[in-house]
Amino acid sequence: MFALLWALGGHALAATQTLDQAWVVAGEGDRFPTDRTPLLRALPDDWADWRGNDGGPLWYRLRFDLTQPGPGLMALYMARVCGRYLLQLNGQLVHRAGGDGVQLCNRPQLVTLPGTMLQPGTNTLDLRVDGEPLSQVASRLHSGGLSAIEIGPLATLTRRHAGASALQIDAPQAVSATLALMGCFMFVLGWRHRRESYLAYFGALSVGWALVEARRWLPELPWPPAVAEFLQAALLAFVTLAAVQFLLRYANCRIGWVSQALAAQCVVMPASLVLAGAPWLHGVVMIWLYLFALQIGAAAWVHLRLRRRAQGRWPVPAALLLCLGGAALLVELVARHWALPAVLVHLARLQVPLALLVVGLRLVQKHGQALQAAEASRANLEVRVREATAEIERNFRQLAELRVEQVTERERKRIAADLHDDLGAKLLTIVHTSDDPRISTLARESLEEMRLSVRGLTGKPVRLGDALGDWRAELMSRLTQSGIEGEWSSPDDLPQTLSARAYVQTTRILREATNNIVKHSGASQCTFTCAIAEGDLQLTIQDNGAGIPLELDGRLDRGHGMSSMKHRAKQMQGQCLVESGPGYGTVIRLTLPLDRATLPTP
Amino acid sequence: MTNILLLEDLPEIRAWMRSLVERVFPGCQVSEAARVHDAIELVSALRFDLALVDLGLPDGSGVDVVAKLRDVQPEAQCVVVTIHDDDEHLFPALQAGAFGYILKEQPRELIAEQLQRISQGEPPLSPSIARRVMAHFSAKNKPLAPSLLPNVSLTDRESEVLLRVAKGYTLPEIGVQLGLSRHTIADYVKQIYRKLNVSSRAEAALEAQRLGLFSR
Repeated sequence: MFALLWALGGHALAATQTLDQAWVVAGEGDRFPTDRTPLLRALPDDWADWRGNDGGPLWYRLRFDLTQPGPGLMALYMARVCGRYLLQLNGQLVHRAGGDGVQLCNRPQLVTLPGTMLQPGTNTLDLRVDGEPLSQVASRLHSGGLSAIEIGPLATLTRRHAGASALQIDAPQAVSATLALMGCFMFVLGWRHRRESYLAYFGALSVGWALVEARRWLPELPWPPAVAEFLQAALLAFVTLAAVQFLLRYANCRIGWVSQALAAQCVVMPASLVLAGAPWLHGVVMIWLYLFALQIGAAAWVHLRLRRRAQGRWPVPAALLLCLGGAALLVELVARHWALPAVLVHLARLQVPLALLVVGLRLVQKHGQALQAAEASRANLEVRVREATAEIERNFRQLAELRVEQVTERERKRIAADLHDDLGAKLLTIVHTSDDPRISTLARESLEEMRLSVRGLTGKPVRLGDALGDWRAELMSRLTQSGIEGEWSSPDDLPQTLSARAYVQTTRILREATNNIVKHSGASQCTFTCAIAEGDLQLTIQDNGAGIPLELDGRLDRGHGMSSMKHRAKQMQGQCLVESGPGYGTVIRLTLPLDRATLPTP
Repeated sequence: MTNILLLEDLPEIRAWMRSLVERVFPGCQVSEAARVHDAIELVSALRFDLALVDLGLPDGSGVDVVAKLRDVQPEAQCVVVTIHDDDEHLFPALQAGAFGYILKEQPRELIAEQLQRISQGEPPLSPSIARRVMAHFSAKNKPLAPSLLPNVSLTDRESEVLLRVAKGYTLPEIGVQLGLSRHTIADYVKQIYRKLNVSSRAEAALEAQRLGLFSR
C-alpha cells in the first residue's frame, strides 16, 4: 500500500504538465458552444459542488503550450472523468468513450495524442462530458465531474495510469473475487452446519460486498446507470442484513423481531427508492445508508458486549477489526457527500473487503478447530461406549452364569429329593421286607449307589483330605466287621480337591475292591496306601488273600467287578491295574490325575 | 419299662422298626406316629425315654420333633433314623438335640447293635459330621463370646477326638492312639453332641434377641 502511495506520490513529474483550469459551458452539440459565455473553473471540477439537480452534457475547453515536443508519443491522462466523454484536439476528434452501461467514473483515462494533430505553441482541448447529477446517483463519486488533466510523454503517463488502475481496479477486483469465492464456500459451510448459521450469514455478507464492489472494476454493466445505482443501493440493504445477523449470531444472540425487521428492510428500502424516483435518489439512499451504518454499529456494540460477557474480557482483535471496518465505512459514507482526497477514499474502500477476508480466514480456522475437537470427542465417546458395552455384556454374562448355576443347583436338589423320597423309600422297603438276603443286599447296594449318585449330582468339589477321611472310616469299619486286619497310610495336609464326580467314582472303586477282599479273597490282612506323585493320586490296595483265579482274570471277572473298576478309572482319565497271582494275594493300583482346575490356586 | 416314640411315614418300615425295637428293648412300650403333627401331640401327652425320628416326612421335617422333645423332655434320648447319610441333612437334627443317627438300610443286626450302643451312651460320629462340628465351633464370626458360655466351647481333648474322627479313624482306634478307654472316648463324643446342641440353642437365642432388638 505504501509502495502504491509512493508511486502515486510522483505527482509532478518534470516532463508532464497539469492543466487545472478550464472554460466550462453547458451544451449538447458536437462542438464547443461559442454562443454562450463560458465560465472559468478550477479542476478538478465536481458537478456535485455547483450543478445541483442540473443534468446534461458540459463542455470543457483547456489550453496548453507545447514548448518543446518530446521525442516520443504524447498522451493525456485524466484521473477521473465521470460520464461519457468526447475529446477534441485543436478541433479534431481524438477519442470518444462511454455509452449506456459503460463505467467510467472509477477508471483513470489515458488517451494518446497523435503527433500530427499537435501544434507547436498553444493547443486547444475540447472535452464534452455527459454525466449524472448528484441527486440521481447514490454517491458523489458517481456524479459527473472531471479531474485535472495531465499532458506528457506517453511512457510516463502510462506508468501513472497503471498505478492508479492497480489501486482502483485491479486490487478491488482481486480482493472481491477472493471475497466472493470465500463467501460462497462459507455460505455452503454455514448451510450444512445449521448450528453455525453465522457462517452462512458471513458468506452472504462477503458475497454481497463482493457484488457491491463489482461495480468499481466491471468495465461495463448490462443496464443503464440509473438501474445500476438502484441495484447497488438495494444490495446494501441485503449486506446490512447479513452483517447484523452475522454479528448477532456469532455472539450467540438470536432476536426474532430483529431478523424480521431486517428482512422487511430489504423490501422496504428498494420500494422507497422506486417511490422517491430518480431526482431524490441520492437523498433517500443517504438516509438509508446512515440508518444501515447505525444498525451495523449497534450490532457491533452488542456483539462485543456479549462476547465480553461470555469470555470475561474484551475480544480485542475483533474490536480492532470492527473499528477499522467502521472507519472505512465512515470514509465511504463521507465521501458520498463531500470531496475527500481520492487516495484516501480508494484505500478506505480496500479496507472493508480485506477486513472481511481476515475475519473469514479466522472463522474457517475456528471451524476447522471445532471440527477437530468434535472429531476427538466423538472418538472419545466411541471408546467410552465400547467400554460401557463391554461392561454391560460382561455383567450380563455373569448374571446369566449365576442364573444357570442357581437353576442347576435347584434342579439338583429337586432330583436328589425325588430320588430319596421315591426310589429311596421303595428300595428301603425291599431291603427290609425281602426274605431273600441276596435281594435285600442288592437293594441295599442300590440304595448306596443311589446316594452316591445324588452326591455326585450336588456337584460340590471335595477336599482330598476329607475324601480320604470318609474312605478310611468306611473301608476300615467294613474290614473290621469282616474280621480282616486293615492298615491305612496316607499323607497329611492335602490341599488338593476332587470333583464330586471323581469322588463318587473313586468311592465306588474302593467299595468294589473292599467287597472283593471281604467276599472272595479270604485275606486276613489288607493295606491301603495313598500317595501323591506328579499330580496324580495313587491308591494301592494290597491283600494277602488267595488272589484272583487265572480263569477269572482273563475272561470271566463279572463277580469281581474288575472290568467296571477299570472302566470307571478310565472315565476319570486314570487307570486301574490289577496284579494277582495264586497264593500271592492281589494288588490293585489306582492312578487318577488330579485335575489342574481342581488344584487350589496358591 | 421303656417308653419309645417311633416316627416313620412308611408303614412297612415302621412295622419292621417296631419289631426291631421290641427285640432290642424287650418289654418296651412303642408309640407310633406317621406325621410330625401326630408326633408332637404324642410328645406333649406322653413321657419318652427314647425317640426314633425319621427326617423326611409328608408334613414337615423330623427336626421339629427333635427340637420339641429337647424342649419339653430334655432327658429323652433322641435318635435320627434316616435314609440320608449326608451332613447337610443330619447336622441340623444334631444341632436341634439329636443324640446320634442310624442309617435305615443297614442290616438288622447292625442297626440293633447301634441302637444298643446309643442307648448305652455311645453315639456314632462320621468324618463328615465331625468336620461340620469342627467348622461350627471354629467359625470366627460367631456372635457368641466363648467367655460368656464357657461350657459351650470344646476342650482340647474333645477337639483332638473330633480331628481324628474327621481323618477317618474309628473311635476304638482313637482310644488306642490317645491311651484312653473306649468309655472315655464315648464320653467325649457325648459331650461334643451336647455342646453342639447347647451352642446351637444359645446361638439361636442370641440371634432371636438380636432380631428382636433390631425389630424394636
